[in-house]
Amino acid sequence: MATPEQPNRIANKGLIDRRAPLRFTFDGVAYTGFQGDTLASALLANGVTLTGRSFKYHRPRGILSAGSEEPNALVELRSGSRREPNTRATTIEIYQGLEAQSQNRWPSLKYDLLSINGLLSPALVAGFYYKTFMWPASFWEKIYEPMIRRAAGLGRAADAPDPDTYEKSSAFCDVLVVGAGPAGLSAALAAGRSGARVILVDENFALGGRLLSDTEKLDGLSGIEWVRQTEAELHTLPEVRILLRTTLTGAYDGGTFSAVERVADHVPKPAAHTPRQRLWRIVAKRTIVATGATERPIVFGNNDRPGVMLASAVRTYINRFGVTPGRNAVLFINNDDGARTATGLHAAGARIAAIVDARHDPSAPVRKIADATGARLISGVVSDVQGRLAVTGARIVPHNGTAFDIACDLIAVSGGFNPNVQITTHLNGKSKWDDALAAFVPGDVPHGMTVIGAAAGNFALSRCLTDGASWGAGAATGTGYPVDVPYIPTVANTGYDIVPHWRVRVAKHKAFVDFQNDVTVSDITLAEREGYRSVEHVKRYTTLGMATDQGRTGNVNGLAILAEITGKTIPETGSTSARPPYTPVAMGALAGHHRGKDFKPTRLPPSYDWAKVQGAIFVETGLWMRPQYFPLPGETDWLETVTREVKTTREKVGICDVSTLGKIEVHGSDAAIFLDRIYINAFTSLPVGRARYGVMLREDGFVMDDGTCARFAEDRFFMTTTTANAVKVMQHLEFCHQWHWPDLDVQMTSATDQWAQYSVAGPRARDLLAKIADAPFDISNAAFPYMAVAELTVCGGVKARLYRLSFSGELAYEIGVPARFGDALMRRLMEAGAEYGAIPYGTEALGVMRIEKGHVGGNEINGTMTAADLGLGKMMSIKKDYIGRVLAGREGLADAQRPVLIGIRPVNRTARLRAGAHFLAKDAAATASNDAGYVTSVAYSPMAGHWIGLGLLANGPQRHGEIIRAYDPVRGGDTLVEVVAPCFFDTEGGRLRV
Amino acid sequence: MRINCPYCGERSLDEFVYQGDASLTRPDPSAPDAASTFYAYGYIRANIADAHKELWYHSAGCHAWLVVSRDTRTHAIASVTLAKNVALARAKSSPGGA
Amino acid sequence: MSKTSLIATSALDAAKSARRSHVLIDVLDNVSVVWIAARKGQSGALATRVNKLYGVTLTSSPRLVTSQGGVSFLSAGPDQWLAVATMATGQDLATILADQLQGLASVADQTDARTLVCVSGDKARDTLAKGLPIDLHPRAFLEGAVATTHAAHIGVILWRPIGSDSFIIACSRSYSDSFWRWLTESAAEHGLVVA
Repeated sequence: MATPEQPNRIANKGLIDRRAPLRFTFDGVAYTGFQGDTLASALLANGVTLTGRSFKYHRPRGILSAGSEEPNALVELRSGSRREPNTRATTIEIYQGLEAQSQNRWPSLKYDLLSINGLLSPALVAGFYYKTFMWPASFWEKIYEPMIRRAAGLGRAADAPDPDTYEKSSAFCDVLVVGAGPAGLSAALAAGRSGARVILVDENFALGGRLLSDTEKLDGLSGIEWVRQTEAELHTLPEVRILLRTTLTGAYDGGTFSAVERVADHVPKPAAHTPRQRLWRIVAKRTIVATGATERPIVFGNNDRPGVMLASAVRTYINRFGVTPGRNAVLFINNDDGARTATGLHAAGARIAAIVDARHDPSAPVRKIADATGARLISGVVSDVQGRLAVTGARIVPHNGTAFDIACDLIAVSGGFNPNVQITTHLNGKSKWDDALAAFVPGDVPHGMTVIGAAAGNFALSRCLTDGASWGAGAATGTGYPVDVPYIPTVANTGYDIVPHWRVRVAKHKAFVDFQNDVTVSDITLAEREGYRSVEHVKRYTTLGMATDQGRTGNVNGLAILAEITGKTIPETGSTSARPPYTPVAMGALAGHHRGKDFKPTRLPPSYDWAKVQGAIFVETGLWMRPQYFPLPGETDWLETVTREVKTTREKVGICDVSTLGKIEVHGSDAAIFLDRIYINAFTSLPVGRARYGVMLREDGFVMDDGTCARFAEDRFFMTTTTANAVKVMQHLEFCHQWHWPDLDVQMTSATDQWAQYSVAGPRARDLLAKIADAPFDISNAAFPYMAVAELTVCGGVKARLYRLSFSGELAYEIGVPARFGDALMRRLMEAGAEYGAIPYGTEALGVMRIEKGHVGGNEINGTMTAADLGLGKMMSIKKDYIGRVLAGREGLADAQRPVLIGIRPVNRTARLRAGAHFLAKDAAATASNDAGYVTSVAYSPMAGHWIGLGLLANGPQRHGEIIRAYDPVRGGDTLVEVVAPCFFDTEGGRLRV
Repeated sequence: MRINCPYCGERSLDEFVYQGDASLTRPDPSAPDAASTFYAYGYIRANIADAHKELWYHSAGCHAWLVVSRDTRTHAIASVTLAKNVALARAKSSPGGA
Repeated sequence: MSKTSLIATSALDAAKSARRSHVLIDVLDNVSVVWIAARKGQSGALATRVNKLYGVTLTSSPRLVTSQGGVSFLSAGPDQWLAVATMATGQDLATILADQLQGLASVADQTDARTLVCVSGDKARDTLAKGLPIDLHPRAFLEGAVATTHAAHIGVILWRPIGSDSFIIACSRSYSDSFWRWLTESAAEHGLVVA
């Protein structure tokens, strides 16, 4: 019956495509499976039951489940840069050429030397990392941690960049249905027929949920026939979107959900332009949660051996995948559902050695199944498992009788079902305990959410179908798409009838509660004995439920065992919270498009392309890419280039792209009054045709930003901000207008991107600009003096704005043209300036020249400075109120002892200065109490011929001429510097007014 | 979280910037006790576990400042209004204000 | 400015007009964009003036209206609009509007501040959903709808022109390169090939 290659395959069963065999390898051994298999089902078909080693003790582990709750069968999937650790064999669809490796074993899965950890287990009990490796402390980083990481741990991440792409997408719907089992399908169909926008998500690669695994009939149709019929109709509804292979990972406020779609995990590599995974953000008006339930094991000795499997998973392997996981099975159950697995196994030709029912009085349905399958029915427990790499037998302890051993190769276990309530609790909702079901069911659920079917604790198929239909129709109707409740097929009733049995007390061997984190009953007992009685403490001390599966098969068992130990009820014991994500999410999916160059957007200034051709070196300033300096052939050092740029600008003329400055149009009849309230200095007094330097404070009195503001008309100003603060200043202005002074007639909009703006600085700046300004504009010093501004045309009719501003201290202008002409203007300026020796300069030279002039920059306006600290106290108007005025007057901010802006130069003129060094009096010890301030900006000054700096020094203005220390213990610097006025070049300021 | 901007409609949290308590208004800077009223305005905050009126800025949208009434325990939003309208109404009700 | 010798460049010159199968992307040049904000207390008078001059009623919700002459007025915030039109060479919409709306509105040219692309095709919505966090379904985003939002962390304003199932998206000029990288990467799955 079985093919030689796949000895456990059952003829004529399952939803696999036997015409489509697929080759794959596990630990280098080649196997064959079929289209429609998971890696787990294909391995089982080939008789492979040992799939990995456990986290702490390196115990052999097999396949426990058939779904995403799998704690044991974690493998490394693919190889090279596509290698992905900790993937669940139970959810991986096989494809031609799939490669998988077992994890956490050395040198091989069968002979794992580190299983000696099992012998060291006393050292690895609950809380081991809190107490075992505490001494000596210095051993932790070098010895203990690397050792533990080698011994205990999971798979290896790829060590090369992921070659695949990921993306994010948004989706909106009226009704979101989570889970495509009988309840979800029924709900989606009912809602979809209304015409409402419906999204149906399921983590599986096929619709149907448990209907793919069970054999119940719906109106005489098999489950799969009904699923196919329903799916066909859903596909005819244009507003229904079905997302398969999509896990709903989190619920967020306002009907927002995250979901991960595995677009291409089931193919060898993604098709061109197709992402591997897609992260969805789904916004739904109504949500129907039909996530089903997860079976839980019973805790007994050696219950982690390969061959111990959840009873419902056994049915899935038989009915859906046509694989029998064993030939001679023992069932260990505490409810009726588990017994149905015997029927499935029997039909698949396996022998049922025994049905062990933990209930003292097994129910009639179980007796009937035992009779029909020829199974021996025992009221009792399985206490321990025999076999190491595979189950070879079970020790059975009848409630009334003597223990005995029985040979078997499979133990199918059912401790009952836990409704999958996780996403109902992501927003802090608490689930509630249901005694009859012995399970947590949804409690308070978020607004707009309804839980139906097994997820709500309604396990009967008939109930799933009827609730799905009525809630699906109700949800659509509630969003404005009225629809009748559809016809529901008739199904036979099946009972559940559970009597909880959490653990087998007579077990002799290690009894696992949390398989993935290797947490045993004795760990919980120990934690309790050491005083960790709150469930939250037990969780963290034992790591119960803290593995990548978030304890989906272990949490409730652990909680119940803790309750037993402490003598409390389960509701008294409480429960821990599930948090997003429901299953692990790849970092790539969270990043989506935003990796590498696209990690964040980049802003390019208008002269970018031109500067690139010139060989400029760029620097990121915020999101902007600005030319930092323009090396010429033969220049080997940035300082050489920058020195040339500064000298040429100061001797001839230099051009710098300053388009990145924030620019804001401020209009309105009250614009001047508004600016008076924003800046510390006055703007009502600014004449039309002039600009003024302004400083603005935050309301707490510290400097927020500085820049110039030009007045082009009585009611029309043009503000510039620093590059870094443009967005923040805009927000601040909007706030002040809309919230403080809504009665002012003022309107504003950002114009940063509208204008390409170039600084043209140096003695020949006027000559250069005279060549491009259209007649009759008069650019003479008399007609267009320092701080003048004008609207004009340049280059034969291009509208432009000219500002006579200087950051460099030279005769300088800023010329603005609409950005589409920015590239051309840069080229034209360079052509026109050729005869004067014009050069472009970057942000470095800009910075050097502003330090030579003592102008403050971002290093000084760092959020901790007052205007007075920066030497700008005299600008603070006493004739008007402005933002920050009152709090700037606070004692601490007005303290005369506060460090104030000064200049420094090294006593030894060849010494280099470093920003960040702290000031100490010449003979003072280097203690915090002697700290007198610090260096904010430094530069090599080509004009002075040595390093210069700006800094903040207590009583600074009174200390000009004093020699102090610039002490820099981080970089080993200790330099004597002379305190000077913060201006190193053209102290009279004559150059900029010529 | 989603905020229903009175102008743009319902948008996701990441389009907004949070500012804080909307029950505070800028004190009269010319009052004799301005130093203490501004100190309180700048720094003194209740840590409210209840309905809270707060200022949000629709930075990625229409640039309107909003007064949002939000329950800090559940993030349930009871109302959203344009801050400018609240401010105008406030100015009307207290002639000395603004 | 017809006589200038300066050559205007689009921020997306290199990338213009990529069109294939399910997504069509056109870079729109020569479209003027002008910011209009009502002066205090002048919203009514402004609406009246615009109606008289252009025969359209300014809306106070995020929608657009288009005049017979092809000037669209997009609502862009409380008491703010963008006038958008393809202008004949030598005509400056900002200057014209500043003149026409004198005293009623503040006006500033934004033509150069924005790069405009038009995205159409049966996969336009699926493409845009990869970055735009708003609902573009025909039931939710009707013809003439306008939205200011962001796409892949880049601020955008987008609208559906009247009589068309396409989307026009304007992003700030300096972001054009990043915006284009996102848009073309998102559209590639649907067959877009950049010429």
